[in-house]
Amino acid sequence: MKKNVTALQKGLNTGITLGVVMVFLSLTAFTVVLANIIGDSYRPTPVTYGFVIALFGFFGGLMASSKRGLPNDDWKNVLTSSAAAGLIGGVILAVPLAVLGSIHLNGTDLRNYLVMVSPDVMETYLFGIGLLPAILITVIIFAAGAILGGAFNKGAARAEWRARWMANSQEKIRSAWQAPRVQQVVAGRYSKLFFMVGALLLLFLMPFVWGSYWNYVMGTVGLYILLGLGMNIIVGLSGQLVLGYVAFFAIGAYAMGLLSSPEPLGIQLGFWPALLASILVAALTGILLGLPILNLRGDYLAIVTLGFGEIIRILIKSDSLTWFTGGPKGLRAIAQPAIFGLKFNSDVNFMHLILVGVLVGVFIAYRLQYSRTGRAWLSVQGDQTVSRATGVNTYQYKILALALGAAFAGIGGAIFASRNQFTGPEDHVLMVSINVLCLVIVGGMGSLPGVILGSFVLKGIPELLRDLTDYRLLVFGVLLVVMMIVRPEGLWPTRRPKLEKQHLSKYDPDNDEASSEEVSA
Amino acid sequence: METLKKLVPSDLNASKWVRMILGILVLALLVWRLVDVILIQRLYGPDTWARFAITGLIIGGMYALIAIGYTLVYGILLMINFAHGEVMMLGSFAGYFVFELLAFIPSPGPENPEQVLLNAFPVLSILVAFLVGMLVSALAGYFLEKIAYRPLRKAPRLVPLISAIGASIFLQNAAMLLFGPQRRTYLNPTLLDRGLGLEIPIAGNNVLVPYTGIFSFVLSILLMLGLYLLVQKTKLGRSMRAVAEDKGAAALMGINVDAVISRTFIISGILAGAAGVMWGVHNGLLNHYVGYIPGMKAFTAAVMGGIGNIPGAMLGGMTLGILESLGPAMLGIDFQLKDVIAFTILILVLIFRPSGLLGERLSEEKV
Amino acid sequence: MTKLTLTNHPPVVIEAQSVTKRFGGLVAVSSVDLSIREKTIYAIIGPNGAGKTTFFNCISGFYTPEEGEVLFYGKSIKGKTTDRIAHLGISRTYQNIRLFSQMTAIENILVGSHCRYTNHWLDAILHTRRYRREEAESLAKAHDLLKFIGLEGLGDNLASNLPYGAQRRLEIARALASNPKLLLLDEPTAGMNPQETDEMIEFIRSLRDNLGITILLIEHDMRMVMGISEYISVLDYGMKIAEGTPTEIQSNQKVIEAYLGPGAAALQEKFSRGKDE
Repeated sequence: MKKNVTALQKGLNTGITLGVVMVFLSLTAFTVVLANIIGDSYRPTPVTYGFVIALFGFFGGLMASSKRGLPNDDWKNVLTSSAAAGLIGGVILAVPLAVLGSIHLNGTDLRNYLVMVSPDVMETYLFGIGLLPAILITVIIFAAGAILGGAFNKGAARAEWRARWMANSQEKIRSAWQAPRVQQVVAGRYSKLFFMVGALLLLFLMPFVWGSYWNYVMGTVGLYILLGLGMNIIVGLSGQLVLGYVAFFAIGAYAMGLLSSPEPLGIQLGFWPALLASILVAALTGILLGLPILNLRGDYLAIVTLGFGEIIRILIKSDSLTWFTGGPKGLRAIAQPAIFGLKFNSDVNFMHLILVGVLVGVFIAYRLQYSRTGRAWLSVQGDQTVSRATGVNTYQYKILALALGAAFAGIGGAIFASRNQFTGPEDHVLMVSINVLCLVIVGGMGSLPGVILGSFVLKGIPELLRDLTDYRLLVFGVLLVVMMIVRPEGLWPTRRPKLEKQHLSKYDPDNDEASSEEVSA
Repeated sequence: METLKKLVPSDLNASKWVRMILGILVLALLVWRLVDVILIQRLYGPDTWARFAITGLIIGGMYALIAIGYTLVYGILLMINFAHGEVMMLGSFAGYFVFELLAFIPSPGPENPEQVLLNAFPVLSILVAFLVGMLVSALAGYFLEKIAYRPLRKAPRLVPLISAIGASIFLQNAAMLLFGPQRRTYLNPTLLDRGLGLEIPIAGNNVLVPYTGIFSFVLSILLMLGLYLLVQKTKLGRSMRAVAEDKGAAALMGINVDAVISRTFIISGILAGAAGVMWGVHNGLLNHYVGYIPGMKAFTAAVMGGIGNIPGAMLGGMTLGILESLGPAMLGIDFQLKDVIAFTILILVLIFRPSGLLGERLSEEKV
Repeated sequence: MTKLTLTNHPPVVIEAQSVTKRFGGLVAVSSVDLSIREKTIYAIIGPNGAGKTTFFNCISGFYTPEEGEVLFYGKSIKGKTTDRIAHLGISRTYQNIRLFSQMTAIENILVGSHCRYTNHWLDAILHTRRYRREEAESLAKAHDLLKFIGLEGLGDNLASNLPYGAQRRLEIARALASNPKLLLLDEPTAGMNPQETDEMIEFIRSLRDNLGITILLIEHDMRMVMGISEYISVLDYGMKIAEGTPTEIQSNQKVIEAYLGPGAAALQEKFSRGKDE
């Protein structure tokens, strides 16, 4: 749809967009944080900061010199476009910096209005030199980065030798994979079993090696996998958009807490009975919630369930229900599991418990997904009216999906509460629902590997980027939008089973005369 | 109504009994609480009730303005603009910074060298704050649509909703990173001091109606009237209605659908921006989270009135404001549970009258 | 091939007794009577907006008629939900193909046979004996149906990736998977070229001849209707204006008027008389 524009125009457009983004990143001090990460220090240096600016410029140059929209990609066009992008972007970045810089040099602390722009950050933006030279340097570095980016794009990334090299290496990998010896091992009789046992052993041993921090992080990822599996049944299979999933999680956690904590009810059941109760209560809530509202259209359902989640959270938090829920303080001293008198109280034990939970969960979800039940759900997602007219009791299947999905959340919540030995209203905010929904969608709706991948991406990677904690949600929001635009089917889209092939390999094709008569009968 | 009910026989029939039982339970609970609070316990005098109602009406006006934004967008794109509350929040911040800036600059007039611009020209200051707030929100709405929704026009319905959630998270956190998580106090011109107001004697007691409230209410009514005229009388309004009716046919009639959608977002943004500044002026508190709850409530209001229906959104906003304000007192429950009432109303409306108070009945799917 | 075979008393499959369906003030179907005997290919025709699809929807349970009765083998199915009706043995296709596009062809057929099996989610998790037996059985049957509609080897393709004609046949296969006694086809040859239409006619005949299924269809294509159906009802403005064998319908004055407007019949008569002379 884009009109053909000249190289200069394209460069200007790219530059303006990039400039605005850069201004935003500077005002939130993101550039400085990046500089810190690159320099591996707590204080940015002019060099690392300059490098970050150049890096963004380089990126802009890459964008400005991409083939799309350029009339042709000879050197002149590429350089014009990237230089224009660099210059205009640099100027747009420099103007607010100049304004802020002069205010800063007046001795005003900008943090009253722009919370991240501390005097230190401001000093970095000014490279520790005067206002005017700093502005000039910013523009020059940015533009230089952009021109370099354009040149790199034209000279290296798009060059013929690179394409040839890529093709060559792909070919090499393929031939190595298809080598008889490799195939023998892969397709060998026990290799699958061997591989699985190895993987299980590895999973079992990892918690001992990792240390408690990683056990905590990976435990969280595991819990989110469990939640994601349940959400995947509800959203990915039966196609109901539920935004109040956290309600089930909260109910699971609170059922565990209330039944096993000494306060406020003092029932103090053990972990296992409480776990069972959590699952049942959560599933029951799913059914009760589903009964009246499942005839609602998709986005209405989303809002009703969102409202339900908020109601649960507000009720938990409310002072007037403290006698029952513990109120804003939450629940403490929640029971931990024990098997044959062996107490689960270390992080390793909990990691193992979560691993077992995840494995069982994946197993159950897998079997459900590729069964008659799973197909019925998928048909409801595809076209509810037709599904019903084809003989699927859509209403029952939707409620079943909600109940099973809620049960998964219940397990997740119960283990979560027991692991932390605590649960309170702040554990059950809307963000949990949105996180779970997003991991399902980012992974790929209806795809089990997608759920696992999505959990790692959304809960694991942010833990790696500790330095970026403040920016995590920001990046998350952008990621969601970009993901929906670029790859709405998810990172690991679902694949349907090859049932015909499976059937043919099981039954000799020459021998199915008999069964075809069955149909006509 | 009758026919459309028949259009969705399957699931409605199956849950009919459930809904009936639920309805009876809710009614019984309501009657019990009302009788208990109003007739037996007599917790509050008429002046208190009046105060609650007035508060509700004022907040309701703001809900209505935001709700119109939801309704306009839903009517045209059939999507819930989840980030609409954040659009309002940005407008609120814009108004705040205008007031701060004006309070920073000394008045040029010779008569009172101590006075700042804000109090030297209060009416003008308020006007500028509102205009800037509306402008910022309008821009936010425009770019939101252009960046996050337009590429997804033809995608399945879940996709734009997720994108909207993403945009909402982004805007909220962008505001937090820019302006910080702390609560700020809206600095009003002394003319609109939050302590001042009309004293109305009711049942022997004086009920204070703050000027900010009167101002907000009048302004929101004026804006709603303006919007109504715009939609009913102007060419833009006609094309908006046409696009809402049938995008394809509207395009064939020579209407630039993309432009109409853009303008719809701009109009929604303007109303949300005004509501945002009002929110700040009246309630006095501001942070990056300020758009979330009003946004949810306004959506509830839009659904209550019948989503896609502009008078419905206005009525829904007012009704929700009043119910929410009177609710905890009427039911005799903790005032912390105010939000529970709003969400419960949302759920009940969707269960018992998915079309809302004024809307046409929206069936799940038409065969 | 006329009244004689029809009075030979095969049982009546479906019977509509003065079925009326209104939308607000509009009477979409007005007291239509109809009865179809076993193993007939029966067609409903009529101009656009005559209420054919509405009538179809009344039979398949999408709508509940305000007045009248719908009897399936003598038992009322009025007001039953569509899944119950499918369970009883009526299945249908749609005017604009409505397959489950994100599922494979064979999975679509498996969903079609859903109501003939009873295993549930616990069976699926535990892989009980019932689950394994039913899964193997339904898969074998689905594969046979796939073969029957000539899509063998394409079963693992997503339904949405199949060519148009194949999608039409797949939709019929999905309907057949529930072992229906009555099959409702809503414009089965819409959007097909003459050759594809001929193939479809053959295919529908083979359904009746090989599987013994009673077929009720709506069609616009006169050539097809006259070529395939044994009995025809004509609807106009929601009312049944004629019924009979194809030859009877072709010469019915009311029908010609309904299709071509009043006066057309006289004109045509004149025209054909002129030709005779």
